[in-house]
Amino acid sequence: MADTLTASGAQAPGGEPPRATAPGAGAARGDAPTADDRATNFFKVTGRTRTPAVPRLAAAANRSLAIVLLAGAWEALPRTGAVDPVFVPPLSEVLLAWYDLLLGGQLPEHFQASLLRSLSGFGLAIALAIPLGLAIGWYRPLADFLSPVLELFRNTSAVALLPVFILIFGLGETSKIVFVFYACAWPILLNTVSGVKTVEPLLIKSARSMGLGPFRLFQKVILPAAVPTIFTGIRLAGAYSILVLIFAEMVGAKAGLGYLIQDAQFSFRIPDMYAGIITISALGLLFNLLLLSVERRFSTWRTT
Amino acid sequence: MSLHTAEQSVAGRAVPGQEDLAGSTAGRSAVPVPEAAGSGRRAAGPPKIAIRDVGKVFRVRGADRPFTAVEGIDLDVREGEFLTLVGPSGCGKSTLLDLVAGLTAPTTGRILIDGREITGPGLDRGIVFQQYALFPWRTALDNIAFGLEAKAVPKKERQDRARHYLDLVGLDGFGQRYPHELSGGMRQRVAIARSLAFDPDVLLMDEPFAALDAQTRESLQEELLRIWEKTNKTVVFITHGIDEAVYLGQRVAVMTSRPGRIKQVLDVAFDSREGDLRADPRFGEYRHHIWTLLRDEVAVAQEQERTIG
Ligand SMILES: Nc1ncnc2c1ncn2[C@@H]1O[C@H](COP(=O)(O)OP(=O)(O)OP(=O)(O)O)[C@@H](O)[C@H]1O
Ligand SMILES: [Mg+2]
Repeated sequence: MADTLTASGAQAPGGEPPRATAPGAGAARGDAPTADDRATNFFKVTGRTRTPAVPRLAAAANRSLAIVLLAGAWEALPRTGAVDPVFVPPLSEVLLAWYDLLLGGQLPEHFQASLLRSLSGFGLAIALAIPLGLAIGWYRPLADFLSPVLELFRNTSAVALLPVFILIFGLGETSKIVFVFYACAWPILLNTVSGVKTVEPLLIKSARSMGLGPFRLFQKVILPAAVPTIFTGIRLAGAYSILVLIFAEMVGAKAGLGYLIQDAQFSFRIPDMYAGIITISALGLLFNLLLLSVERRFSTWRTT
Repeated sequence: MSLHTAEQSVAGRAVPGQEDLAGSTAGRSAVPVPEAAGSGRRAAGPPKIAIRDVGKVFRVRGADRPFTAVEGIDLDVREGEFLTLVGPSGCGKSTLLDLVAGLTAPTTGRILIDGREITGPGLDRGIVFQQYALFPWRTALDNIAFGLEAKAVPKKERQDRARHYLDLVGLDGFGQRYPHELSGGMRQRVAIARSLAFDPDVLLMDEPFAALDAQTRESLQEELLRIWEKTNKTVVFITHGIDEAVYLGQRVAVMTSRPGRIKQVLDVAFDSREGDLRADPRFGEYRHHIWTLLRDEVAVAQEQERTIG
């Protein structure tokens, strides 16, 4: 979680995704807990080891303290006039606006539009980038053939390509989905390639010594060994899928959370704007939690 | 059937059900092997493993000359024997093992198993690597079952056999643990169980106990001997410990410094393995003999490493 935030925050959306070696990749078979593991543990609220109720409550309180403080400041500062309440309305007003949007049906509508686009692009990226990454990581000739092109595109920001996508695919859904797909594909592709390439050679040797052919070797050793690294890419892509979509929706759309925020700002419905922003944060958080739990299911052997 | 092997299996069967270590280990090679020390060749019956004039040359990146790791290796390993291989660091022991395993092809010479030249890796040979090579995403049991999957053994039987070998190395109850949840000694035992599980004729072990503490090492050595007697496998065991080589081996092959060759093959036989074998005066004699052989080689090897850089 933490690493995803820093990684995606430090990166221009769709720009140069960090090399897979950065978060979690080195932990492909980490015996010692890595920063990634610890970050993962952050959300282990329902961990297998049940701690007594009181310390657990205390820990939960400690964890939410910062959020509570932030919420308090957001409420108090505009009310006391320390911050202009026109530009930053108190939290309660924002929540009220959020509730109105929810009841009015606008929020669900925009939410759905955004979710559909980001999930489509993200899903497409998973479906295409993982097989391609596996192939590139496994077949040396393919890697040699493709790497110049990949290097070129990898260093071309998705944001810079948005006008091209709009030109080719129009202002409708397709261009946005392709845009999200493009941004998501890179972290998945690069992590998958590196996941396959960095499989401990001794494990390959060990499997070969037991008479495994190339296909079985791939299925039984390369793939499982690469899973954690691939997941790092998937989680990064999950964050990107929302980040870049909001941008696209701000540039040209008639629905979606990005549009909601932009539109609210233009028509000076400031609480609505913040309501949209909160929704996006919540969506991003939720998405990441979901991916984390899927990841844990697939790589129990990494966490204790 | 060779004389020695016959004697071996008879001795092995003579103490059925005798699981205590001292009793069962006494069953082996109490009678001296009726061959000249260092000959390496046998008069009757084909050897289990025949290494004939084998050399391995590596091409090293950035170096103008090819790099000869081993050269002119001649060694026969008898059916059912426990052969230990010692040599200075970097002399090519692991290289030789990889060659016998079929993981790499020799540059010169031939390696035969049961008289047939090897063409690649196979389940007739089980390997325990110098570093733990367990699959971290598999539990201990699933690691042991790995070779059985490669052999396409049905699932039920796979599980039964994996459990059997887990018990054999004394790890019952640890089957569901992942490698990172096991101690170093336990991991190495799982690795041993994994190579035993698919029932290879030959067990190739590359310094399997090197990274362990003395107590764990000794208990695993005894365990290995016990398993070897039970299963009658041919074992090639690499070590840099002279004590270990003498303690485990029926014969000890000593290698020269790089490019590695076989300097001498020494028969090791004790009148009795009862009690503390290491206190036996003959143990000291063997030990000293091998130490003398190695001393010069180690000096050469160190000099080599210094000059190569
Ligand atoms: N793939 C390779 N490419 C180039 N050189 C190699 C390769 N593998 C081994 N060597 C070299 O061959 C020599 C023998 O290596 P090997 O690993 O067989 O030594 P060893 O006897 O097992 O040493 P140790 O006791 O330290 O394990 C070393 O000098 C090593 O640098
Ligand atoms: Mg070695």
